[in-house]
Order: sequence, then C-alpha cells, then structure tokens
Amino acid sequence: MKAILVFGLIVLIAFLGSRIFFKRKKAFLPLSYFFFSGLVYIFLGLLLGERGLGILSSGVLQDLSPLVSLGLGWIGFLFGFQLELKYIRKFPRKYIGLSFLQYLIIVVLVGAVLAVVLAYLFPSQPSFLLYGMAVALGLFISLNSPSLLNFASPLIPQKGDYYHLARFLVSVSGFWGVCGLAIIASFWHFPSLESQVIVKGLIFVLALVLFPLLMGYMFHFLTLKKVPEQDLLVYLLGLVFFTSGVAAYFNLPSLFICMVLGLTFSNLTRVQEKIYPLLLSTEKPFTIIFLILVGALWEFNLDTRVVFLVALLLLLRVAGYTLPLSPLGRILRFSYPLPSVFGFCFQSSGGIAVAFIVSLKLIYQLPLTDVFVSVALIVTILSEILSPWPLKGVLVKLDTKK
Amino acid sequence: MNIVVLIVIFLLMFLVRSSFLAPFINPGFSPSVAIGFTLIFAFLIGKRINRLKLPQITGFILAGIFCGPYVLKFLSIKDVQSLQLLDGLALSLIALTAGGEMRISQLKRDRKAILLILLFQTVIIVAGFMLFGLVGRSLFPFFANRTLAQGMALSLLLGTLATATSPSTTIAVITESRAKGKYTDLILSTAVVKDFIVICLFAFNLSFARFLNFPGQSFDAGFIVSILEEVGISVLLGAGVGGAIILYLKYIKTETAIFILGIAFFTYQISRSLGYHPLLICLVAGFLVENFSSRGESLIVAIEKVSLPIYVVFFAISGASLDLNALEQSWLLALVFVLLRGVLKFSGTYVGAKAAKEEKGVQKKSWAGFISQAGVALGMAVIIEGTFPEWGREFKALVLAFIAINQVIGPVLLQRLLVKMNEAGKKGSGLDIRQ
Repeated sequence: MKAILVFGLIVLIAFLGSRIFFKRKKAFLPLSYFFFSGLVYIFLGLLLGERGLGILSSGVLQDLSPLVSLGLGWIGFLFGFQLELKYIRKFPRKYIGLSFLQYLIIVVLVGAVLAVVLAYLFPSQPSFLLYGMAVALGLFISLNSPSLLNFASPLIPQKGDYYHLARFLVSVSGFWGVCGLAIIASFWHFPSLESQVIVKGLIFVLALVLFPLLMGYMFHFLTLKKVPEQDLLVYLLGLVFFTSGVAAYFNLPSLFICMVLGLTFSNLTRVQEKIYPLLLSTEKPFTIIFLILVGALWEFNLDTRVVFLVALLLLLRVAGYTLPLSPLGRILRFSYPLPSVFGFCFQSSGGIAVAFIVSLKLIYQLPLTDVFVSVALIVTILSEILSPWPLKGVLVKLDTKK
Repeated sequence: MNIVVLIVIFLLMFLVRSSFLAPFINPGFSPSVAIGFTLIFAFLIGKRINRLKLPQITGFILAGIFCGPYVLKFLSIKDVQSLQLLDGLALSLIALTAGGEMRISQLKRDRKAILLILLFQTVIIVAGFMLFGLVGRSLFPFFANRTLAQGMALSLLLGTLATATSPSTTIAVITESRAKGKYTDLILSTAVVKDFIVICLFAFNLSFARFLNFPGQSFDAGFIVSILEEVGISVLLGAGVGGAIILYLKYIKTETAIFILGIAFFTYQISRSLGYHPLLICLVAGFLVENFSSRGESLIVAIEKVSLPIYVVFFAISGASLDLNALEQSWLLALVFVLLRGVLKFSGTYVGAKAAKEEKGVQKKSWAGFISQAGVALGMAVIIEGTFPEWGREFKALVLAFIAINQVIGPVLLQRLLVKMNEAGKKGSGLDIRQ
C-alpha cells in the first residue's frame, strides 16, 4: 500500500515537475539548464530516500524496481532509436573517426590515471576491482549529453561547422560508452566469473547483440501493417519491459540491450513519425521517475577520497577533451582547425551518464560500487552546473570567426 | 506475422524461466520480465481471439490463466502479486469511461424502459440468488461450510455481481457491429446506467454483507446512515474529482493522459484507504465531465490513449490470479450460476419491458444483450476478496470462472441479437473501438 501511494506521489511530482522544469527558459543560465536537465530530481530522491525522510525505503524501492529497469530500458531505447544510419551517413566519415578517437583517448587517459590513483586510495582492494572501476569511470567520462546543445541552440545565432560537429559528437558519443559497458558486463559477468571468462564473455556479447536484434525485428514485424497508436504503445512498453527485464534477470546492462533494440527498430521501421510523439510524450515523466529513484538508491558518500576523485575526474575531463583536439583535427584532415577550446562543448554528461551509473550499480554489488556511484553522480551534477558557462561563448566565437 | 512473434516470445519466456539458464541469473526476481511478457503475449492472444468474434479481454484473461502460476508458471505468484499494483488504476479508468458514456439526453428518452428493466432485473436476480443460497445450501459445499448469515452475505454479493453487465464489452460489440437503432440504444443506456446502479447497490450490499458476515454486530438505523454517508460522500468526492478534471481540461489542457492517470490512481488508493467507494467516485466524475461540461470527449480520448496497456495487464493478471485449485472444486457451481443468471436475466428483462409497455421483441429478446461481464464485476470480486479474507479468495475464483463463461458467451449473444433485430451494420462507417 505504501509503495502504491509513494508511486502515486512520484507520478504526481513527475507530472508537475515536467510542466515546471522542462519548460525552456529564456535566459541561458547554468542553473536554469540544471533544472531543464531534470537532475534536480536526484536531490528530491535523496530527500525521499532512506537517508532522508525514509519514504522511499528499501522495501518500497524493491517494489518499485520494475520502474528502474523500465527507466534504463526507456533511456536506452530512446538513445538507440535516434541512431538512424541514413542520418549518420550524411555526416563525413571523419566525424565518426573523431568521435571514436575521442572516446578511446578519454577511456585510456582516465582509465590509466585512475588505475594508479585508485590503487593508492584503496590499497586493500583487489587490483581487478580497481582496474574495473578505473575503466568504468573512463567510460563514464566518455559519455556526453546532447541536451545541453539542444537547450543552448536558440541562443547561438550563427550555426556553422563547429556547431554541427559538436552536435554530431555529443549525439553519438554515448554509443561507444554504452558499448564499452556491454563489453565489461559480458567479460566481468556475475555470478559466473570463476572460469572460462573469455568463452563466457563472448557468449554474453553475442547474446547481448542477438537478443535485442531479434526483439527489434519482432517489433518491426508487429508494426508492418497499419497499427493504431494504442497498440503501438502496448508493443513499445511490452518489448522495452521484456527486453530490459531479461537483461536485469541475467545481470546484463538494460541500457545497452535496449539501445540495440531501439537502433534495430529505428533502422527497420517506417513508422518513426508515429513513434517519436509517443516517445516524447512519455520521456519527461519516465525520466523524472527514474531520476527520483536514482536519488533514493544513492548511498551518498562525501569523504575526502570521493572529493579528490571528483576533482580529478573534472580535470581529466577538461584535459581529455581539449588537449588532443588540435592533433586529432590534423590527423583526420579537417578542413578547419579544431582548437582546444572546442573541447569545452563536451563537458556535459546528462541522463545517459546517470543511466550508465545505475546500470553498473545494478550489475555490480561490490565493495567499491557505492564509491563509484557517489563519484560519478557528483561529477554528473557538477558537470551539468559548470558546462553551460563556456559553451555558448565558445561556439559563437568559433563559428563567427570562421 | 503476429503468430510468429507470439511463438517467439513464448519460446523466449520458456527459455528465460528454464533451469538451463539458472546459473547465470540474478537471484532477485525481475517483475519487468513478467510485465513485458504479459503485455505482449496477452495482447497478441487477445487479437487472435478477436478474430474468432470474441472480445479481446477474453483473450487477455485466457492468456493470464495459461501463463499463470497454476498452468505454465511463467508468472509466479510473486509476479502476480506485484502486478496487482495496477488493479486500482484499471478499475478507476473503467469507471471513469462508464460514467463518461452516460448522456442525460439519451437517458431522458428511454428512462421508463431503462428504469423498469433495471428495477426488475436487479430485484429478480438478487432475490433469485438469495433464494438459491437458502435452498441450495445443503447441496453445495461452498455454501454448506458457512453459517446461515455468511451464506446470506455470500448470496447477496453473488446476486449483486450477477446483476452487473459490462458496458465496455457492450460498447465494443456495438461499435464492431456498426449497430444503430432502438435495441442498440436501449441496451447501451441500460448497461451504462446499470453500472452506476450496481456500483451503488454494491456499496450498500457490501456494507450489509459485512454486517451479516461478522457476528456480534447488531443491526440498527446507524448502520444505514453510515452506508448513506459512505455513498453520499463518495458521490460528493466524485463531484469534486469531476470538477477538478473539468477545470484541468478547460484551463491547462496539456499532458491530459498523465493527469487522468494520476487522478485515477490517487482517487482509487486514497478513497479505499478512507473507506469510500472508488468506483462510484470515478463513475460520478466521468458522468459530470460528460454532461456538465464540453470536455467529455477529451476525457474519453485521454483515457483511451493510455488505458490499453493497463487493461491488458489487468485482465491478464486477473486470469493469472485465478486459483485453479479452488476452481476445480467449484466449476459445477459456476456453471449452475451462469444458467441461473441467464434465466433470471430473461425473467427480469421480460417483466421490466412488459411493465414499460415495450414491444414484444424487446420483452423476449433483449435479455441477450445483458450477459457479458468484465471489469466492474471483476473489480467487485477483488474488493470482496480483500474485505472477506476467510472466504474471499474462493469466492473470487468462483466469480472469475462465472465471469469468464459470461464473457465468452455474452458478446456472441449480443452480436446475434443485433443481427437478428436488423440493427447491425446500420451505421455508415466502421469505427475502430480504440481509435
């Protein structure tokens, strides 16, 4: 009963919140973007959770676990659905190359630095765990959110090459990061870690790709004939619930599996124009419910090691996105220079990063998981507050200059 | 192609639940799998059943029974319990829709026939079932194990349930048949008004049955006052909820589907916890929006936008929660009740139509339009199960069997009636019920 009422309360907050905070603010202020991104609901969740008012107790959270799974699946599906190959093919190949190289550099840089730092900070933990966490944080930093650019878009008068390049990069960067998550989850699969890691890992990778592919084809077959909107909602909800549920059941990342589902369906179907309004109308409340639950699940921790790691990650993020840009531009033979300041367009993490964090938390209930969650969530929140500051200036300056 | 998807999803669920993959699973159960599978599987079964000229909800219920904890065990008892979270939401939406389908103008025109048919159907059916409860006590163990007062309470509630007709099924069949005419209007109006009457009657009879069932309570005038108070406050709350919906649809307009979902959810949970009647509240709210504002259409559209997935899970879980062990013992009684209800429906309709001086056809044939049963009757069974824990579960199993049979034969009878009375296909164009 309590779970039901709390769920109702969350739905109401989600509903009211979606009306208040998702409205586009005219002024381009970092705080207004923070509200726009909806991350403020993490704090609400923290307040309602066991560490706050205790309304969202662990029992209630257990009852509401399908919503977390659905939230992850929904974000994954939405992200994958936007990756239409015919749209991506319109961009020059070097854009994809830059995106992948950026991802590699970030993961290697952050992973390598943190492998050393974590061993120093947590000397009693086994090395495989520390390396895993280092790579996970690297993947996390590689994720960007397109929301900030969407939010800033009306304030950028001249949308030139830099704007379009930035938009492409933030839109596809999540793909690499989520694929990385799937590879980690397959080869570090719990509870079957003990033996034949490579063989089992390959089987899981295969299952992670083939299962959502099959579901995507099924969704396509179901919508081949003219389907009423209500039927479409049943198929969409049913397949996302089932796919993300199966992933959770086998301790695999719902985010990846539903991203592949979305990607497959998006590239097969001809009913995109029917699906988009459906996704958009449900996105806001789903996101808010998800963020509140994330806040409630958060074992908030702010010791000196966490603070140090947060500061280090923010610095690595800036360094990783700014410093390699010029050489990368030359290697990939861009017709215009890629100055370091352009890297300030990639400092926002957004909802996909939160989903990534939750996916990892659900899969790995390990000693350092809560430290990872605290560090990553604080970095995400700070990034959303700080990233809007330089963005507009950089894009306006670069495109005007060009 | 849907059949291929149906088979694939079935095989996938079989694989997921098989012991072969057990070493790889998360020890915590995953209700998301259950929700997803139920939605797709039950919906596709509903569509197949629909091709056999049966309503989709029969398919949802059958899919639930088939995959539930007593047959294939794809859905565990824990899954079923966690998915019952949606019961209140589905019932509120059904009651809101039923209220929204009642129009004052139509009611005024057919009021004499509607009221007399309703009166005689209700009196004859409730009295018939109570008489059966008294006479048949020694014949059926279901009654024999109870005290006289409990048996009376049971019969009273069975009679009330037997009176109910499903307006949603009625509307669905009429729309599918593209029917138009005197019979169509009369059956539709009576089914919808009856929904309101049955909900009120259920509120009274539930309180009365509570008094009969729990010994040591004496009957006094205060009891009736408290029933009147419950119903009165429920009607007032319904007016308040209806007013809030009208204001919202008039001034805010956006995100109406989510707003209606929230309203339906809260109305059910809060009113139940305060001891009022959520179905009555939602019915009154829907009636008000339809008849005292210009927003009735918006309300129905908003509900139709989001309700289908909820109904699919609701009906499928109703099927899955059917205790087949209890049913095994009471199937004969369920069949007897179906026959008894049919005879009493015919008698009630005949006497009512005759008293209203309706033509012979209405007197003799229109009973066939009142057989189907679904949401509201199921909702009542759920409430009874919660109110009388000592026999509620067995009662619900019996009632579900009874409803399932009625729900299979009801639409077929209604459709045949409409064809026979030459009213089917009289509407210009076909309209998908969900469009």
